[in-house]
Amino acid sequence: MTALLELENLEVVYHHVATAIQGVSLRVPPGSIVALLGTNGAGKTTTLRAISGFLGADDAQIVGGKVVFEETIVTGRPPHELARRGLVLVPERDKVFETLTVQENLRALVPGARDGRETTRPPVTLEQVFHYFPVLAGRRRQLAGYLSGGERQMLALATALLCRPRVLLVDELSLGLAPLVVETLIALVARLRDELGLAVLLVEQNAGAALAVASYGYVMEHGRIVYDGTVDRLLAHEDVREFYLGVGHRAGRKSYTEVKQYQRRRRWF
Amino acid sequence: MTQVLATTVVVASLYALLAAGYVLVYRATRVLNLAQGDMMTLGGYFLFLVVSAVPGQPALSVATAAALSAAAGFAIYRLLMRPMAGHPIFAAVLVTVTLGILLRAAIVLVYTDRIRHPLPLLGLANPPRRLPGGAVVSTFDLLTVAVAAALFLGLFAFLRLSPLGIQMRAAGEKALLAAQRGINFQLLFALSWALAGFAGALAGILYANNVRLDPSLGVLGLKAFAVALVGGLDSLGGVIPGALIVAAVEVLSVRYGDPLLADVSPFLCLLAMLLVRPWGLFGTREELERV
Amino acid sequence: MAFGGGYFKTTYASDLALVDTRLRRVALGLLIVALLLLPRFGSSFVLDLVTQTALAAIGALALNLLTGLAGQISLGHAGFIAAGAFTTAVLVEQRLPSPLLALPAAALVGAALGVIVGIPALRLKGLYLALGTLALHHVVLYACGEFQNHWGANTGVSIPPPRLGGWVLKGTIAWYYALTAIAGLVLILSVNLQRSRAGRAWMAIRDREIAAESVGIDVARYKVLAFVWSSALTSVAGALFAYQRAFVSVEAFGFFLAIEYIAMVTIGGLGSALGAVLGAAFVTLLPYGIDAAVAALRVPGGAEYYLFPLKFGAFGLLMAAFLVFEPQGLVGIWRRARNWVVLWPLRYRPLRPAS
Repeated sequence: MTALLELENLEVVYHHVATAIQGVSLRVPPGSIVALLGTNGAGKTTTLRAISGFLGADDAQIVGGKVVFEETIVTGRPPHELARRGLVLVPERDKVFETLTVQENLRALVPGARDGRETTRPPVTLEQVFHYFPVLAGRRRQLAGYLSGGERQMLALATALLCRPRVLLVDELSLGLAPLVVETLIALVARLRDELGLAVLLVEQNAGAALAVASYGYVMEHGRIVYDGTVDRLLAHEDVREFYLGVGHRAGRKSYTEVKQYQRRRRWF
Repeated sequence: MTQVLATTVVVASLYALLAAGYVLVYRATRVLNLAQGDMMTLGGYFLFLVVSAVPGQPALSVATAAALSAAAGFAIYRLLMRPMAGHPIFAAVLVTVTLGILLRAAIVLVYTDRIRHPLPLLGLANPPRRLPGGAVVSTFDLLTVAVAAALFLGLFAFLRLSPLGIQMRAAGEKALLAAQRGINFQLLFALSWALAGFAGALAGILYANNVRLDPSLGVLGLKAFAVALVGGLDSLGGVIPGALIVAAVEVLSVRYGDPLLADVSPFLCLLAMLLVRPWGLFGTREELERV
Repeated sequence: MAFGGGYFKTTYASDLALVDTRLRRVALGLLIVALLLLPRFGSSFVLDLVTQTALAAIGALALNLLTGLAGQISLGHAGFIAAGAFTTAVLVEQRLPSPLLALPAAALVGAALGVIVGIPALRLKGLYLALGTLALHHVVLYACGEFQNHWGANTGVSIPPPRLGGWVLKGTIAWYYALTAIAGLVLILSVNLQRSRAGRAWMAIRDREIAAESVGIDVARYKVLAFVWSSALTSVAGALFAYQRAFVSVEAFGFFLAIEYIAMVTIGGLGSALGAVLGAAFVTLLPYGIDAAVAALRVPGGAEYYLFPLKFGAFGLLMAAFLVFEPQGLVGIWRRARNWVVLWPLRYRPLRPAS
């Protein structure tokens, strides 16, 4: 099955001097959720921004590799063009227009045009959006700046849906949210995949939540992909369990120093 | 008394037309367009250009001049302001100052600084009219008030209700998020500048017919940004009370004080506002930190 | 040859020295000799050009202190010049025309204005500060206009040539030496201020005000100090302006004068004393350059009427070009050229973006 979205050896440099990501390759097959895990500063957000487009003022250059979307090379296109093609990002922060009401937020977008490939692009309507996010229906006239964190995330997802995406790029869905809210949102993302056939690239620090719904995963560290595999392989891998799931099963490591020494000595292969 | 009131409303309308241009541009690109006054002058000279070629056609001439000014605003954004995207805001403001210089130089180069009067070429007259209460204003004074009111109503409707207007407000708040939602914000910013050119042209055309046309009209623009600041640089609604306040201070200071004060009183209002409430009557406080 | 970088200093004296390497000392010596000898070889036109540049440089250096070093945007520069010029005019009206009184008085008036502007300016940043200074410019000009209407002839106030004891300062050569010397002093003052504690505080405030405050810099005090230094120096420049032109009129100090000075510091390169001087030279010599170009192209008669908008327009065009394409100004060009020479045959290449 050809991938809907594919990255090949992507390399991004900030301010002409700082390499943020290097040699990043990944694939997102249609109708599946792929997780991209990593700690702070690993380069996950940069990867998503490289896919969805930089503005000139970001002073970021894609100096190597390419982004292939639906078998077309789209590296370096401007963000609004990529969004209209169906590559929609739900950003980590600055995700809603705070001076606009919820209703206006849901209208402040330009959905991609209809084309022959209707099967992979869900025609989402406003009613459907309120069906998935009933909380928003009750807050239509409220300024988005006054919404809670969970509501903002829902509004961001809702507007992304209204853009009629083929691939949804979700950056740190769980950041700053309570565990119950995270569960609800993650379940919602899985529902969108099942009911609308959406492909999702889920960037997450919360590996447990992401791996609960994903089918494949990549692990990033220091700007590179260090491991990838199906979710079963990831859940079984020692280092994933140690560093990202907190369930390392080495017996005998009782003190903090021993844990730290173990973590430092481990190397990804 | 009624005369003072009437003159205040007329002066306020002219200032409001100019200040609308400042606010539109500021909300989109966060730049203070110090060339707005010269864009007003440009509009007046576009009218003169059209009217000299095709006299006696008021509707066509005004429409053409306004359209040309809107196109000029669009072009100014694409050619001059868009390359300044990553630069500090003050550099962009300085670029607008140079734009003003260039516009003024171009106008003087073509038309010299002779005072012109397009009114007779339009085939119209500007007779004084007596208002109930005894005040006397000219026909174009009334027209200025009407046009200002119409423009503001139109702008409010456009920005609040139409999809393009909502997109414009969104793009003005967070350009990157707008782009990520498929909005071509560069086009919308250019459109904001086109609207500013249009509003400025209306002011210029009205003033040129009402009073006179010469290259130094741009100073009115400097006084009008006091209005924009008093109302709040990012608030279109604030322009109306701001214009009324500044116009009232100016008219009263000329009537009861020194005529020379006319040029300085808007700046006194500006200073007072900056000392007391820098973000203006209806502006958002966060704007202070943005720059 | 030592180029000033990676050159290790071993004594305090050498660290404090303004001119550190031998190459620089030789270059400076040659420059001073050339300036001293210029009246022997140059026409009075050339001398006048250098004099004008020197006077402009004083104002530009003062503005550079405020905007380039301390990061406080000011559009009211012309107001401070007017203040100094009109202080001189007031003193002349009071029959006290001596420069020994006028120059310090101008400095004091400027400093006082600097406090008046600086304290409210603490609340304002960026665009709002620019607007506030612009508004203040208009208020100062209004006050000067009122003075001119009441005291001077309606077109302006005449200023007699400055008298120091028995000696009168007049004539192109005398003014050339006087202003070049004063400009040199202001340059040294400017460079030393940059290297002083105040200068470092200003640069910290300009770059990241919150960080500056958090390391203990008294931001309020240094901001006001920046305004005071800048406006005092600018007022002195205004007083010199009044003496040199022998005439003071409010029309000479419009908003365009402030733009010219801002152009000087931005075209020259913000934050650099050398930039201020280069920018002053550029802006002062530009109209003459255009005159020369028009004369060389031998444009047919009637050129006079469009010479003014041409100069005006060329100024605007060049300023825009520098703002868009060369934000670091003439100093940036100079540094790139110098680095190219120093690094040759090596080159520094930035990373290339993927096409």
